[in-house]
Amino acid sequence: MLGTLTTLMLVAPEWVLRWTKEPRGNAFWAEFVVWPLIQILIVLFIVLTLVAYLVYLERKVSAFMQARLGPMRVGPWGLLQPAADGLKLLLKEDIIPLKADKTVFQIAPIISVVAALVVLAVIPWGAAWATIANVNIGLLFILAVSSVGVLGLVLAGWASNSKYSLLGALRSSAQMISYEIGMGLSIIGALMFARTLSMSGIIEAQQADGVWYVFFQPIGFIIYLVCALGETNRAPFDLPEAESELVAGYHTEYSGFRWALFFMAEYTSMLVTSAIAVTLFLGGWSFPGLGLIKNQTLFVVVSIVIFAAKVMVLIYLYMWFRWTWPRYRYDQLMDLGWKWMIPAGLANIVLTGIWYVLALPKSRGGVFGLMQLGLRDRLAPTRWSGIIYFVVTGFVITIPIIWLVLAAINRRTRDFNLHAQRQLQIKLRAKRLQKHAEPQAAGEGAS
Amino acid sequence: MREQGVDITPGTLFDAEEMVINMGPQHPSTHGVLRVILKLDGETVKDLDCDIGYLHRGVEKIAEHDTYAMITPYWDRLDYVAAVSNDLCYVGGVEKLLGIEVPRRAEYLRVALTELQRIASHLLWLGTHAIDIGAVTVLLYAFREREEILKIFEDFIGARLTAHAFRIGGLWWDAYPEFEKRVRDFLKILPGRIDEYETLLNANRIWLSRTVGIGVLPADEAINLSLTGPVLRGSGVKYDLRRAQPYSVYPEFDFEIPIGENGDTYDRYLVRMAEIRQSIIIIEQALDGLPEGPVMAKVPKVIKPPVGEVYFGIEAPKGEIGVYLVSDGTTKPYRMRIRPPAFINLQSLRRLSIGHLVADVVALIGTIDIVLGEVDR
Amino acid sequence: MPRVKSTADRRTLGEVIKRLLLFDLFKGLFLTFSYNWRALYEKRDGGNPNQAIYTEQYPLEAARVSERFRGAPRLNLDPESGQTLCIACDLCALACPVDCIEVGSIRREVREGEKVNKKKVLTTFIFDTSRCMFCNLCSEACPTDCLELTQSFELAVYHRSGFRWDREMLEKGIDYVRYSK
Repeated sequence: MLGTLTTLMLVAPEWVLRWTKEPRGNAFWAEFVVWPLIQILIVLFIVLTLVAYLVYLERKVSAFMQARLGPMRVGPWGLLQPAADGLKLLLKEDIIPLKADKTVFQIAPIISVVAALVVLAVIPWGAAWATIANVNIGLLFILAVSSVGVLGLVLAGWASNSKYSLLGALRSSAQMISYEIGMGLSIIGALMFARTLSMSGIIEAQQADGVWYVFFQPIGFIIYLVCALGETNRAPFDLPEAESELVAGYHTEYSGFRWALFFMAEYTSMLVTSAIAVTLFLGGWSFPGLGLIKNQTLFVVVSIVIFAAKVMVLIYLYMWFRWTWPRYRYDQLMDLGWKWMIPAGLANIVLTGIWYVLALPKSRGGVFGLMQLGLRDRLAPTRWSGIIYFVVTGFVITIPIIWLVLAAINRRTRDFNLHAQRQLQIKLRAKRLQKHAEPQAAGEGAS
Repeated sequence: MREQGVDITPGTLFDAEEMVINMGPQHPSTHGVLRVILKLDGETVKDLDCDIGYLHRGVEKIAEHDTYAMITPYWDRLDYVAAVSNDLCYVGGVEKLLGIEVPRRAEYLRVALTELQRIASHLLWLGTHAIDIGAVTVLLYAFREREEILKIFEDFIGARLTAHAFRIGGLWWDAYPEFEKRVRDFLKILPGRIDEYETLLNANRIWLSRTVGIGVLPADEAINLSLTGPVLRGSGVKYDLRRAQPYSVYPEFDFEIPIGENGDTYDRYLVRMAEIRQSIIIIEQALDGLPEGPVMAKVPKVIKPPVGEVYFGIEAPKGEIGVYLVSDGTTKPYRMRIRPPAFINLQSLRRLSIGHLVADVVALIGTIDIVLGEVDR
Repeated sequence: MPRVKSTADRRTLGEVIKRLLLFDLFKGLFLTFSYNWRALYEKRDGGNPNQAIYTEQYPLEAARVSERFRGAPRLNLDPESGQTLCIACDLCALACPVDCIEVGSIRREVREGEKVNKKKVLTTFIFDTSRCMFCNLCSEACPTDCLELTQSFELAVYHRSGFRWDREMLEKGIDYVRYSK
């Protein structure tokens, strides 16, 4: 049985093996039941606590950006605020609207939160034993499962039987689907270098190449960040729950702990998308100088801390954006997704492919021969010359070309031609009013 | 089937794409208790109607039973974010009716306070408008500066919001000793803070895409709708009562009237920001030329105006607020009519919104700058 | 006044390059980050507009109330005799726009030194703080500086009847809550 699973990392520690009385190398219960369960419990506990404290962090960060103090009353510096909030939400009355589709209404938040939590299984939180499942299609799994999350929002909006919820659900389904495309395109460039879909494999590839892929793929990283904002419904793309327009979007009718589940799903998916970005572009748990630590346990612990720190930096970035910029309008959001992110993602794939092919070893049809076979027969850029080649092409050539492509596609938008756009809008308005005036007059006559 | 002017006939198979949605009266961005009935095609607004009156108190009727002095506090509660301006309008109207000459020191202090109130009102507008469009941080920054103004008011007048600032014939209290210094200190930090708001908004591409070309109102339409205030000036009409029908001591001050070019939401935003800067100039002049002397004219204890009628309008932050008073010679007005700027500006909402998206309706309600206390009276 | 314009309306090469490089977005980010950074190390007095954090922690810190603030009403006593200053003239009740004051008085003989005068004497005084809009008109009408609106502003009560203040409460004043950190 284990023979077919040798690609998996078998890392159950000694004490688990001793407990199940199995020898290493043939330990079914230890490797596949006991140790994963322990890991799952720990990860769930830490992540759910973390999510609660992310809310606290968000409130504090926003407060500090806005000349306020934020929560200060529950515990020192308001540190017990998440506990108080959670308790309050648990004790609140469970309200289900009379005309809501009861079953779907109850299932929707669960779908949403489960989709967000399942993904945690394949995230490499740290080196060695700090991953629950090292699946060799980890990234694909994440993309597939996280798109189930949108189902939760759509069902919630539909089942609430409320117009605001429906509009919010419509918006979120359209938004999440279109931003998923951009997100999928943005990671392909990095995958070309990694040549694996396994999350741990991607991190190892970056260690083997000696450089984080953000330096090879600056555009990919930017597109990923923007699309992740759209995918997690964070500002400036928080249209599905834009409180100034749709009250609360798809969860308008939710209260109490069902609402908290949506909230948890949002923050968990924020955590997950940040973790993917860290894994793909920022070297995961690796950090220069980490190899100096010889103690195995300490090494893993430090790697977890490094991973968490990188994720936190990205999450701070999300919060920073949210509390600085206004919100896009629905059509503008679609514009940004389809006219900026997707063309940029496609162009990035094409350009990266060209640079990659040109750099292949001469024996494989390349021109510059700046790659060599490295660890596990994986093609890696040669130390320094190859790395410099990819960094230079990524930053100096790819970015301007993609900017030009985007400018050509979007030359008519107000980002490039505000004045003309304004005049156009004024003309359009006159036409619109005329168009609306005619059926209006007809309707008046009829009634 | 029609409700409030909007056709709400249930859709048949062939026109099922239209949706009637109620925005408000308990909606976070209708600035109070405005109910907007929207007829949507997808997210595009096909028709819109405003339902007002949720905050109706009958101020005009109450005034018929109160003496002239007793009516002033009710005026604080019309446009409750610009109470001082309202007071100036009413008090000015009664003074015109009585033919009282207000001491010059009182007039200068009144101008200083009213312009401070204009800044406060515009700051509140800026914050709420920005939060409607999603920029939350601007609100907190704007409220911080507004708080400083309210503190000055509290020290001078005794209340922060519903000020009851002026009495018929002048002011109840003279300026407190540090008043001038406090105001000057505040005016010193304000321009830098306005720059901060503009850093967050002015050139921001998201802000631009949300405001430029949204709710365009040509000058002739704005005049036909009898709009006043920044909404009118944003369309490029140079009409400001401080210049057009000078009142108080405004002719003595040197300031400019900013006007917009395109009449869209962005221009109205720019006009209001420019007005804050002009108000700073006016307050500085008022403090520089502050004369000595009494702050209260000789007013009889029982105010009994002669038989007659009078209209007095001032340039409030939201537009022309006016009072029409009819006196029958008793201590109570025979009739008091309020010309509320927000109520009249609100009627442009339908014209502005049709053809735009739901999200724009929110921005447009914000750009008109309504206060429901004044709309419903 | 020249028509209002912003940099976004300009069409110079510099502006276009700035827009290409997302200067507008980064400027805003820089501003909020500087606030966040300053909030971490700067002193916090509360209510100081020059500091990064403006919050006053009201129930922990005493709120700053100005001298002229119009809050809870009070009936002043003569500091020497301890008798009320009110002469029951009813002017405050007449001046009140919302009729929240009721003055009760009787005519009775009062001994003043040698003479005995027939005088109006205050018996009850009811002030309905739930209707009061704190406009100060009553205090301005008072000829003896008896009725006054004080700086105390914490008027919340648990029951509606608590809003009707009688003479005793008006003379004593409500307990002024003093907070400490």
